[in-house]
Amino acid sequence: MKERINRTVLLVVLAFLVAAPWVLPAIGFDYWLDILAEIIIWSLFAASVNLLFGYVGLLSFGQALFFGMGMFGVAIGIAKLGLGFWPALGFGMTVAIGTAAVAGALAVRLTWHYFAIITVVFSLIFYFLALSAKPLTGGDDGTSFSMPAMLEAGGFELSLTDPTVQYFFILSVAAAAYFLKYLIVKSPFGMALMAVRENDVRASLIGLNVYFLRWITFVIAGGFAGLAGCLFALFGRYASATYMFYHVSGEGVVWTIIGGAGTLFGPAVGTALLIVVREELSNIWEHYPILVGLVVILTVIFAPKGLMGFWNALLDRLAPAPADRASGGGRPNGAVDAAAVPAERRTGP
Amino acid sequence: MELVVALALNGLVWGLIIALIALGLSIIFGLLDIINLAHGDFFMVGTVLTWFVLEATGNYWLAFLIVPLVGLVLGALVERSVIQPIRGTAALSIVATFGLSIIIQEVVRAGFGAAPKRILPPIEGTIPLFGIEYDYYRIFAAGVSIVAIFGFFVFLHRTKLGTWMRAVRFDRDTALAMGVPARTVYMVTFALGFAMASLGGAVAAPITTVDFQTGVDVLPFCFMAVIIGGLGNLPGTVAAAVLLAVTEGIVTSFTDPTVARIVSLCLMSAVLLARPHGLFTGATR
Repeated sequence: MKERINRTVLLVVLAFLVAAPWVLPAIGFDYWLDILAEIIIWSLFAASVNLLFGYVGLLSFGQALFFGMGMFGVAIGIAKLGLGFWPALGFGMTVAIGTAAVAGALAVRLTWHYFAIITVVFSLIFYFLALSAKPLTGGDDGTSFSMPAMLEAGGFELSLTDPTVQYFFILSVAAAAYFLKYLIVKSPFGMALMAVRENDVRASLIGLNVYFLRWITFVIAGGFAGLAGCLFALFGRYASATYMFYHVSGEGVVWTIIGGAGTLFGPAVGTALLIVVREELSNIWEHYPILVGLVVILTVIFAPKGLMGFWNALLDRLAPAPADRASGGGRPNGAVDAAAVPAERRTGP
Repeated sequence: MELVVALALNGLVWGLIIALIALGLSIIFGLLDIINLAHGDFFMVGTVLTWFVLEATGNYWLAFLIVPLVGLVLGALVERSVIQPIRGTAALSIVATFGLSIIIQEVVRAGFGAAPKRILPPIEGTIPLFGIEYDYYRIFAAGVSIVAIFGFFVFLHRTKLGTWMRAVRFDRDTALAMGVPARTVYMVTFALGFAMASLGGAVAAPITTVDFQTGVDVLPFCFMAVIIGGLGNLPGTVAAAVLLAVTEGIVTSFTDPTVARIVSLCLMSAVLLARPHGLFTGATR
């Protein structure tokens, strides 16, 4: 029941995302296609925070480092090394994952506060390096480049300069990444990660290699953040050191927790909500971040499991799973059940 | 050589101010288990309040009295409204204080403006020191910081409230059973942390600029001092702050400040990885 509702919602959202390049201009929201692309990219970044925090319980405040590595990998690859589209993307991913492998080997030796702090420190080191290596990175001003073609065959050329092509490229890459995340989370490997999150001592006693599991998750999460960085560089045609600052990492953490850490789509929900709020309110009220801060604090106090946690709890109450119904014989939830039955018919295919 | 001496002295003064701010961060962490990402903004609030006091009264000395008092009240309010409901969940505290940081910065930007402003020090002039002419005010600032740090330790070890604070930190349940009002202690601790950061702001206002973003620069430095000194090790925090700032000052005299910052960050990673409980654990336990 709950699964069916969630699957229906997911299908509706996917259908909207695929139809967006035609739907949005038709209803007079042309420039929202770019915002939608941005939301998709940043939700990948939030997914990276979520993999670490939601599934192995490591709160990283330094994911912006790998975002920046992917970003600079692409920008420097194209602008300085003269790489083509795909090689630059590969270069960006290699740099991001390589950095994550080295940084992770050191960082996951620590847990908890220490882990959160060392990830900030690592990202700050590279932030300052990027600032001072002006000839290579352009420092604060950043590096911009012109977009190489994605595919050239005869007279035919496919390039991200076409907004629709760009949107579908970003959407399909992100969808593939989210599918990968789904596979990881549902696999025995994902179960092992959650065992580490819940109790690392027990996990090690049943024979799991806690250090390795944390490290490999750190590397995968670095890859997600790096991919988001690569896409963002391609999307904006530039890279800047400001995106490596810890405030960017902090935004990723906020999006994840608001949306719901440890859920597959929670981070995407949080990202979408806060970016839409930003886009809508920044025109109306200059000091809208006050509202964002309030939402963050209120969510943490009243819905610590985030919006997805809230949503799932709501679904559980309106339509308890069959197992709950069987076990909850004594509970006076008959009325709720009765209300749930027509709801099932309404949303059923 | 003169440059090295001047920058090392600057580092010493700055280190003492940072020590004052970082002590607040350290007691909040040690007692409440809260990683306070808004702590740099508490400092920034101190500099901004100083500017307002100066605008309203024209008397700088009043700021040294009013700013920490306002900080105390603000700290108590923040503890009651934001910190109390989420105490004991370190991960959530990071997120909540990040939200708090956004709010504080934006409120200050709305009320004070986005343009950085400068404050003239209340005492002008220089005195000869180690072969250079050194600002009078900076020496005064170092003195105020030392007195405040010393006063804090006296408070912690010689008053009833200070003893309660140490008791709650040592063993909360036993302290509660002995009749220590733990909730009040938490509130006082947080308020005191805010007050110390804002006093640091009042002291540092003529040395830095008054800007809604200064907290962002100060925060990593305070965290470095707390970590290198050892989480919850208060004298260690003071020593680490001074050590870091002097090192950074001396390194700055050879290269540019960004490289100096990278050096101290690398130093901090090394300490975190090799001795996660701080440099001075052997000395205090």
